[in-house]
Amino acid sequence: MAQQIKMLSEELDFYYGSFKALESVSLTFIEHQVTSLIGPSGCGKSTYLRCLNRMNDLIPGTRVVGSLTLDGKDIYDPKVDVVDLRRRVGMVFQKPNPFPKTIFENVAYGLRVNGVRDANFIAERVEQSLKSAALWEEVKDRLHESALGLSGGQQQRLCIARAMAVEPEVLLMDEPCSALDPIATQKIEELIFELKKTFTIIIVTHSMQQAARVSDITAFFYMGKLIEVDKTEKLFTRPRNKQTEDYITGRFG
Amino acid sequence: METQLQKALDELRLRILEMAALAEKAVDKALRAAFSRDVQLAEEVIEGDCNVNELQCAVDEKCLLLLALDQPVARDLRFILGCTYIATNLERVGDQAVNIAELALLLAQRPEMPHNPFMEELAETAKAMLHQAVTAFTKEDTVLAQSVCEMDARADTLDLKILKHYVDYMIQESRAVERAVHLIIMSQNLERIGDLSTNIAENLIFIVKGVDIRQTCRPY
Repeated sequence: MAQQIKMLSEELDFYYGSFKALESVSLTFIEHQVTSLIGPSGCGKSTYLRCLNRMNDLIPGTRVVGSLTLDGKDIYDPKVDVVDLRRRVGMVFQKPNPFPKTIFENVAYGLRVNGVRDANFIAERVEQSLKSAALWEEVKDRLHESALGLSGGQQQRLCIARAMAVEPEVLLMDEPCSALDPIATQKIEELIFELKKTFTIIIVTHSMQQAARVSDITAFFYMGKLIEVDKTEKLFTRPRNKQTEDYITGRFG
Repeated sequence: METQLQKALDELRLRILEMAALAEKAVDKALRAAFSRDVQLAEEVIEGDCNVNELQCAVDEKCLLLLALDQPVARDLRFILGCTYIATNLERVGDQAVNIAELALLLAQRPEMPHNPFMEELAETAKAMLHQAVTAFTKEDTVLAQSVCEMDARADTLDLKILKHYVDYMIQESRAVERAVHLIIMSQNLERIGDLSTNIAENLIFIVKGVDIRQTCRPY
């Protein structure tokens, strides 16, 4: 099966005011692959991730130069509906952030915001999303209880279910396991293997082992630049660049 | 600042060098025992082999712990994998030294065979290959490692010449058959030390360059 390019950035620069946080980043994201973005704090990987669904638009004084496409169409085109873009390119954050609502309403929220009113359809989609997020068995008898009563790992899977309910095509994950214990982390990682059958996943992680375990492609960022991108198995065994080697072997700085 | 992992890797390197020193010494002693018909030296080699074996177990245990606890990547990972292979090869070098020492013991009880310059040349070649492979590991010198691979052809040729020499000799001198067979086996032991040294050199190239040149022994 031919590999389809889902997202593509070409010579992307990003500015916070006059500060250039990203410099000429060119990166291809293949459909149904998991790409990890790694690098030291402040290297621009989260900034880059947030460019992919225009989350940075919410920060005043920011500016993007270069091209970023989803299915070949420029996502920074003024005609693009940003709400629809963020439905297609969903996001899961570092800390689980469920709404102070019931488990059911958390997952149904995106559908309701998108104007869906059919109660049966919503109930079906909620169940399907919770099943896909490997959470259904744990919450099916307490769907109408507060989501805030779930454990951290369950809350994070709920956030993934919430993101999936609106059927995105790309899922951005910003350190999704950094607040979780090893068991919850393992569940999310197992989930990522399942989810990539449906979605294209881009994950920012500080855990090198996690990048090595879950991703097909790994990209190393340093000081706003993309230093090296390669198949994960290659990058973690035979990196081409010395900076990459120094970072992944802990000899940095 | 040196990390704990780097310190552990330095320690692993020292263990390998310790093993290499013992293996080189064993080969040297075994050959001296064979050429000078020195029974005591031969017995020392046989008794000393357990030290090389113990070090191999220590290296393997160290590598296992490093893999499990530090989850190394890239060059660190290649270094650890390379060290387990090198330790295996050094242990086998030790075994070959024991084989030579056992033959030396046996031959010392028989009438001396005529001098064979090919055997001495092969012994020097095998020793030089082992020494260069160990030096290449110590200095992380891939050029020197590559030269070890290239020396292997010479060792193979000498082994064949020795075989032919003793086959001819056995035809002429049937009473020397047993001794000639033992010397053919000794030649094969030496040729094998050359092979094992080549393996060590190839592993060093894998550690430093990340390329696997085994089987082909092609320049990387």
